[in-house]
Amino acid sequence: MSKARSVLRKFFLLDILQGLLITLKYYFSPKVTVQYPEEVQTQPERFKGMLRLFRDEAGEPLCIACKACQRACPTGCFDIEGARREGAKRMWPTRFDWKLDRCTFCGLCVEVCPTDAIRFSETFRMTSLSREPLLFHHPEMYITAEELQEYLCKGCLG
Amino acid sequence: MTAETLVFELLIPVAKIIAVILYPMIMVIVMIWLERRVVAWIQGRVGPNRVGFQGILQPIADALKLFFKEDIIQREADTFLFNISPLLVMFSSLLAFCFVPLGESFQIGGYTLNLWVAASPVGLLLVLGLSAVGVFGIIFGGWASNSKYPLMGALRSVVQVLSYEIPIGLTVLTVVFFSRSIDLVEIVNHQQHGKVWFGFLLPVSFVVFWISGIAETNRAPFDLPEAESELVAGYHTEYSGMKFAYFYIAEYVHMVLVSSLVVILFFGGWLPPFPNIKFFSFLRVIPGFVWYLIKIMFFLYVYVWIRATLPRYRFDALIKLAWKWLVPLSLANFLVVVAVKYLL
Amino acid sequence: MAFKEIELNMGPQHPSTHGVLRLKLTVDNEVVLSIEPVIGYLHRGMEKLWESLTYPQIVPLTDRLDYLAAVSNNLAYVLAVEKLMGLEVPKRARYIRVILTELQRLASHLAGVGFMANDVGAMSVLLYSFQSREGILDIFENYSGGRLTVHGIRIGGVPFDLDKKLTAMIRKSLAEIPDKIQDIEGLLNENRIWKHRTRGIGVISPEEAFALGLTGPALRATGFAWDIRKNIPYCSYEDFDFEIPVLKGGDVYDRYLVRMEEMRQSMRIVEQALEKLPPGDFQAKVPRSLKIPPGEVFHTIESPKGELGFYIKSNGTDKPERVKMKSPSFINLQSLELMAKGNLFSDVVGILGSLDIVLGEIDK
Repeated sequence: MSKARSVLRKFFLLDILQGLLITLKYYFSPKVTVQYPEEVQTQPERFKGMLRLFRDEAGEPLCIACKACQRACPTGCFDIEGARREGAKRMWPTRFDWKLDRCTFCGLCVEVCPTDAIRFSETFRMTSLSREPLLFHHPEMYITAEELQEYLCKGCLG
Repeated sequence: MTAETLVFELLIPVAKIIAVILYPMIMVIVMIWLERRVVAWIQGRVGPNRVGFQGILQPIADALKLFFKEDIIQREADTFLFNISPLLVMFSSLLAFCFVPLGESFQIGGYTLNLWVAASPVGLLLVLGLSAVGVFGIIFGGWASNSKYPLMGALRSVVQVLSYEIPIGLTVLTVVFFSRSIDLVEIVNHQQHGKVWFGFLLPVSFVVFWISGIAETNRAPFDLPEAESELVAGYHTEYSGMKFAYFYIAEYVHMVLVSSLVVILFFGGWLPPFPNIKFFSFLRVIPGFVWYLIKIMFFLYVYVWIRATLPRYRFDALIKLAWKWLVPLSLANFLVVVAVKYLL
Repeated sequence: MAFKEIELNMGPQHPSTHGVLRLKLTVDNEVVLSIEPVIGYLHRGMEKLWESLTYPQIVPLTDRLDYLAAVSNNLAYVLAVEKLMGLEVPKRARYIRVILTELQRLASHLAGVGFMANDVGAMSVLLYSFQSREGILDIFENYSGGRLTVHGIRIGGVPFDLDKKLTAMIRKSLAEIPDKIQDIEGLLNENRIWKHRTRGIGVISPEEAFALGLTGPALRATGFAWDIRKNIPYCSYEDFDFEIPVLKGGDVYDRYLVRMEEMRQSMRIVEQALEKLPPGDFQAKVPRSLKIPPGEVFHTIESPKGELGFYIKSNGTDKPERVKMKSPSFINLQSLELMAKGNLFSDVVGILGSLDIVLGEIDK
């Protein structure tokens, strides 16, 4: 840029005006805010929400207590024990303890599960006022989204 | 004591005084809301919209929060000066509003109602002088805090305010040169008789006055003494609760004062656009003070717009800008204006 | 009022230090004489923790190191492990890794430039750059489920394939970013206040930078042309055609310009990779319980902050004996004193922003 042109540009404050016009353009553009409790964005299908166990069509747990998730977890939040029932080939979980406050939501347990029993759900509202509800036992691993918040706040809300 | 004297000599002046206190306060409440909303809109978000309809009760929530905070005074601080400095800053800005006219006077029955408390023949000098008295509040605040960094911040604020008073004075001289009077009402009337507002006749004066006005009020991009991400915090660091609220409000009142001055001196005060052309006389349907308010709101918008866009000047460049550029420029501008008017 | 040498403290809680960093400054009448950074406020004992975890279990925890560029950390660690194992990763997996890493570089530079501008006062730039960053984080969320802790790379490949929906999403987000970058440049590049705050501030010469071990965009802004992607290519970067921006000034302004240009080059790489994506496997066969014979390796990559390296020593079991991470921000922070000496202390904030440090990396 020639010297004269840059001097004129400086004198007439054109560089500042350029910046001001850019922000003016944004003033009239649509806003990106999502008003949270009223509008909730839909999660993508691989969203790492709360972990849940699943049952098959007959209503039997898909989990065969192979402890692959327990071995894969980097933070040690699983505590699983299984037993075989009379005359059955597969094992059922007799104890399936999972600590929500230790989980890093890394997804290694979901990847190694051979029966696809444990999967991420799309629940992300998991607040609790005390630590006890954060230890999930076997029946509680099947709680669905709507009942989860109620379960976590059991008795705390007046 | 007739009913007439009662109304004209007592009630109306008292009402005017109350209005002079309420008008800046209401503008401050509007400004707090406006600033947060406009900065948010520029940044692509929405701003406060939960407290009240579209967030208009947000300033009330802020004021209540500051009201309930603990009022802390340092053990070693100078208590008298510490308590008095917020008052000084507020007092000087509010008092200046007594001399600022709000609109043209209109007739009710046989009585002329003036929309100003006191139209002094030296109104402009009084307003500029009073806004400079606020500097005392800053110095006292920094000194009384008994701490290195607020004192340094206060000194910087004072240097900034004093340095930028000079271009203000010089540019105002050019306006006065045309209007032949420093009565604010006369200046507006002169813009009606003359063909064009002073802002278009003297654009350099307007720009220099506007930049100096922003620097006077310690607003971005000249807000280094009080910016959050800098090390040396401003003179109001040690203040909490309502005293801090006073400093905060006083800054906004000063902003409204500077905007009023710009509008009166350069943009015709309460005159509608094109006051002399018959074609636009339908614009007179809207009363004068509404035009005045519209123009002030425009300049307040520009204040916030500039704040959201520009980075901050470092302190030495701030002072360099005043002394190396604005003062010689305003001097040269004055000489050029005088020469041109003399030759034409 | 003459202030002799006073010691100022920019404490761990401060709006402008990028994380919990404490700076002890010695100042003489506003001119900075020395800076001593005090770190460790975010130390989580990562390196010791990793000695008790198996190799695949460490990968999600590396996300938390440089939390603004999680995939780079994953890549550095996984490449080091694969080099130790001698594992060959399929070509499709390598290209997907390149795409993820370059998208992460875009996101990291957007955050870095945004924070630097915010510290100097231009607060809207932060919001604009984060708007663009949202598009990239949405891609990561659709790919692996995590926006910040992405965990997008596994030992042996990548966890998921890039299907048509994801490639369309990447192309769509990439189409919107150049406009935003142009807006940010229009707000900052020619702005006289920005130039006044950044030109000639925090200057460092190439020899001093080399002696201190400074890497990344800060080194390239001094004139020293060193980028590991070009000089020691890894993960099939040699298949792509891109340039390394090198500027001569060595000041804050040049570092800012280098980052803006690197963003454009990253977009170029992603487009080329999407076009040339070969068919095939996206994961190599890796045994369930990974035992690596004794050996040691040190492998570095070019992360958005500089040269990021992992030293791994294995002893035949499934857990490493020692893992050491060479973090670029730790070494770049050393140069803060040299850069800031002689400048006013209002500039320290701008210089720190231009170095673009992340405390998660420094403190581990």
